[in-house]
This record gives sequence, structure tokens and C-alpha cells, in this order.
Amino acid sequence: MSTESTTPRDDTSSRFDRIDRSRVALYAVLLGMVAFYLAPLESGFMTAFKTTDGFRATTPFAPPPAGEFTLGAWQLAFDRLSTGLVNSAMMAIPATILSAFFGSIAAYGLTNLSWRGQIGVLALFVAGVFIPYQAVLVPLTQFWSFVDLGTRIPLAFVDDYQGLINLSITHTAYGIPICTVLFRAYYATIDEEMIEAARLDGASAATIYRRIILPLSVPIFAVTLIYQFTQVWNDLLFAIVLVSDPSNRVVTVALNQLQGSFVQQYNLQMAGAFIAALPTLIVYVLFGEQFAKGVAGET
Amino acid sequence: MARLELDSVTKRFGEGDGSVLAVDDVSIDIADGEFLVLVGPSGCGKSTTLRMVAGLETITDGEIRLGDERINEQGPAERDIAMVFQSYALYPHMTVRENMRFGLEESTDLAGDEMDERVEETAAMLDITELLDRKPGALSGGQQQRVALGRAIVREPKAFLMDEPLSNLDAKLRSQMRTELQQLQDDLDTTTVYVTHDQTEAMTMGDRIAILDGGELQQVATPLEAYHRPSNRFVAGFIGEPSMNFIECDVDDETLVSDGFRYPLAATAASAVADSPTVTLGIRPEDIVVDGVSDGAAPAADHAFAATVDVVEPMGDENVVHLSVVDGPELIATVDGLRRIDAGSDVTVTIPEEAIHVFARNSGEALHSRSLDDAELDGARV
Repeated sequence: MSTESTTPRDDTSSRFDRIDRSRVALYAVLLGMVAFYLAPLESGFMTAFKTTDGFRATTPFAPPPAGEFTLGAWQLAFDRLSTGLVNSAMMAIPATILSAFFGSIAAYGLTNLSWRGQIGVLALFVAGVFIPYQAVLVPLTQFWSFVDLGTRIPLAFVDDYQGLINLSITHTAYGIPICTVLFRAYYATIDEEMIEAARLDGASAATIYRRIILPLSVPIFAVTLIYQFTQVWNDLLFAIVLVSDPSNRVVTVALNQLQGSFVQQYNLQMAGAFIAALPTLIVYVLFGEQFAKGVAGET
Repeated sequence: MARLELDSVTKRFGEGDGSVLAVDDVSIDIADGEFLVLVGPSGCGKSTTLRMVAGLETITDGEIRLGDERINEQGPAERDIAMVFQSYALYPHMTVRENMRFGLEESTDLAGDEMDERVEETAAMLDITELLDRKPGALSGGQQQRVALGRAIVREPKAFLMDEPLSNLDAKLRSQMRTELQQLQDDLDTTTVYVTHDQTEAMTMGDRIAILDGGELQQVATPLEAYHRPSNRFVAGFIGEPSMNFIECDVDDETLVSDGFRYPLAATAASAVADSPTVTLGIRPEDIVVDGVSDGAAPAADHAFAATVDVVEPMGDENVVHLSVVDGPELIATVDGLRRIDAGSDVTVTIPEEAIHVFARNSGEALHSRSLDDAELDGARV
């Protein structure tokens, strides 16, 4: 670093001292930041393993005292969240995949094909990114009560999961604009001559998408899937407003209900929070490597 | 294989006042099996012309015919044309084999084993058989170039279009590929349009070259014809390295005058400039005769001038000599590489009358070209 250039004296030992001191300071600051950011997580994690008496008796970040360690909170949280976990997965996985897929197609059409008026359409997509959830709540509920999938499609499945289907479709639609923008940034880096070469080779626009663009999109799909899955999984607002049937309750709503009305069971809430967050962590681990490539913009 | 005709082809980008005329009324008739090089400075419209032939750009006006059939309205896929791009444009996720098969799969009804056979044959011809199972990322630039060629050749199209295919290669590989490409085109005998800004490629590769400037066709001719009989000043200056010397002159009683520089003309050249009061005198560097050290006095002969050597650039095979004629223009001459000339020395330069070109100053049009009487030719004259 600059340390070397600022010490013209040929005094090697003091130079090393200096580097060491700056290193020590750097690591100290970094450690402090790690502690600052991880403290809430650590506290939550410790609390989840304590009995009710345990968390009353100790500071939040201290490990469970002897005799106050329990897995009971985890067990109870899992029991109360399990339906919500399954419901969330049923809703979030299709919504994530569909919005990524539609976003990819839209971005291909708006980036690698040229046609009249595409800038205007792109502007609509970009505007879609910025629509606040709150602004569409009332129209959305009116829309879904008008559509009323359960009566229009007389299938037991649709009737049972109407709330989840509505929620899934809503998230898909709401996710398309941001997915399109993400994909577009990536597709803009694809060599235009390559697509022209494919056109000269006789490929149609659909074939080019299927055989050239899609196979090259793996890294950006990872980015979009992670981002979109986290968004959809963590959403509470749409879930509260659009789902009324308790059997269709998603995990964020269930987690919210772990909050007792008389006594705050912090251990239960903390364990529940970790359980509810686990799937997003799994998704990060699964797509992490591709995610890094996608963020780095490799084609 | 087919004849390719460009008939008054025009390309205008944009509409109304802001529109740009990229290609202006270009007509070229390319014979079946001919190798035509489209050459010109960047922005001259050569790539746009090629892209119109490929179907990647629409044609504003005029007609393109391939094998006597109008192809203006056909999409790139229907034209049966293969193109080699400057960036090679290989599909990075496919192996070389898949890259070469792609076009066959999309544009023909061949059975799988027939396709494999064609790919193998083409790969053998280009000497890339051992690369077939690799991906483009694992290939060097030269190898990628070969694969890009292979992808075009394997389809056996009616015409090849090449857009500066050698410009990303290093100098040595470029000259090697230049020879190989010519050989290949000779063997395949497929009509080829080759775009380049490199006048060496244009001179050495083409059966004919078409020189474009500002979207307008300047000349279509064999390389030697363009070199010795340039139709205008632009062609004369563009073809040849170092480029032709130009001296802006007034015509005064069968003599070209530029400040203290006076160049008397004999009969043929004199009659050519009779109607033009202002002309440009052109002389190729290799035609200027540089005579040994002089005493600085004005030489007696009509076409000899006293000059000072400013800079000498030794190229090995030749020396490029920058000269200042006393009271006259600056000239560039090339002399034998083994001859020693020092910067700062006084010399006598002779501009032989049989080697001069004269262009009209305003239009740039050639009025008089060098005589080829002294040329030693093995075959037919240019």
C-alpha cells in the first residue's frame, strides 16, 4: 500500500512495524463490524435455545445457562409453521420460476430483437418496477374478487388453494418488471454479431432464444431466482391482504402469529424466524456460484 | 454458387432531415465464383453494404439479386448466404462441432449422419479436426477464426460474406490466413464479398476490388488497375503504402506550377490538362528517383529538382525517405533498402514524366494516368 512509498528511509524494521500496526487496526475495525452486524443474529440464535426462564435470566447474546437449554421452542415453532412453510413453497416456487422465465423472454424481445415502439414498451416495464405495493392493494383485492377463480374453474384443487393461487399469480406479475430489467442488463452484453450469425444460419427468433440465449442465461437466472424467491418468500403485505382462508396461510403470516397476545415468547419467535428464513438461505447456497458469475456479468 | 448483383443500392438511416445516407447508389456486378473485396476507410458504408446483402439491414432503394433472383424482401435465413464476422461470433456454449452443425440443423433437412460427415469433411479441410470437441473459449484467436470459416463453409452457401475477418489476428497470422483464405476460395469457387479497411488485404486477395468512400462507389477494378489506373484522387491516395504524393498545381502554358516548383508536361499529359486551370499532380513514392548527394545547385534536367532529406525510415527491404524540394513541396520516396541515405543531405530527385498521374483539383477525377509502356509483364496487361 501507500505505506511503502511514504517512508523513504531504509529502516526495514520500523517499516514492518508500521505495516503491522495498520494491519492490526484494519482487522480490529473489521472484527468490530462483524460483531455489530452478527450480534442480533447471534442473540436470536441463543435465545431460540433458551427456556422462558432462561432468556429472562440472561442477557440476550449469552449462551443458555446450565439447565435452561431446550429444543422445545424449535419443536413448537416448527409445528406451528409447518403448514405455512408448505404453503409458502407452493406459492413462491412457481411465482419465482414464472416471473424469471417471463422476464427473460420479455428482456430478449426488448433487447435482442428490434421492432417499432419497443422503447415505449420498455418504459412501461421500468415503470412497473417502481409501483409501490400499497398503491395496488385495493385494486388487487377487487380484481381477485371479480375474477373469483374458485367458481370459474370448478376444480377441487383450485377451490382449496384459491388464496395461494391468487397470491402466486400476483407475485409473478409483480416480479416480471424487475426480472425483465435484470435480464435486459445481461442480454445487452451478449454479442450482437452472434445473434446475427444465428439468423444467417437459418434460426428463427424463437430458436435463437431456445438454443442460444437460454443456455447462456444460467448465471442471470441464478441472480433472478435468488432475488425473486427472497422477495416473494418474505412478502407479508400481499399475503395478509389476498389470503383470508387460514388453511392457505403462508409462513410470514404464521410467523407473525407466533407473537403471543399476553406473554412475549421470545424463544419461540426467534426459532420461528430462523425456520422461516431457512429456505432463502438454502436457495442462496444452491445458486451461489452461478449468482457470483451473474453479478460479475460473465457471459 | 451464384452471381451477385447490386443494382443502385442505397441505404438511408433515419428519416427526414436527420437521416444519414450511408450507401449511395452502389452498383456492382459480382460474377459467379469471383472474390470481390470491398475496401474503404471506416464509415465509408462498406459494412452496411455487406449487411444489406446478408439481409441484416433493410435496403432503402435499389435491388440486390443473387443468382438472378431478387432477394430484397428475403430474410437472412432464406438467402442461403453465410457470413464470417469480425468477432467470429461463435456460440460459446457449444463445442466446435455443434457450432458447425447449428447452421445445417437450422437450414437444411439433412439426416444426422450426413451432417456429421459434412462437419468432419470441412474440419479436415481447415485442419481443425482435433478441435471439434472443444468449446470456443478454449481456442486461440486463429483457431476461432478457422472455426468461424468452417461454420460458413460447411453450409455450402451460394455466397460468402466476410466482414473484416482477419482484423483481430496478429500481423503474422493475418498474412498467413490471407494466403489460406485465397487458396480456400480458389478451391471452393464460391462467390465471395470481403470487407476490409486494409488496403494490403484488398490488393492481395481480391479478383477485383471495389473502393468506397462516403457511401459512394469510387472504382471497381482489378487490384493492379486500381493501383496504376486510379479513377480519381481518392483511389490513388487510398491504394498503396506509403500513399501517393500529391502536389496541388496551377497549369501555366503546359507547365504545372506550385510556388517555386515548375513541372513541364509533354504532349499527352499536356493535352489532358488543357481544359483544367488547377490540377493535382500525383506520383507514387517508388517512382521518384533519388540521385546521390548533390551540391545543392538547381539541376539542369526538366524533371529533376534539388531537395533535402528530412527523415529516413529504414524498413529493411526499402527506405522511406521524406524529402523537401527546394522552394517546392514535400515528397515521400522509397529507395532500395541497402542504399544509404542520411537525413539532412542534399539530393536530386527526378519525377519521371511517364510515371505521373494528374487529377482535376475540384472533382478529383483522373485526367492522366501513368504510362505502362515500360512495364514488364508476364501475362496480360492490366
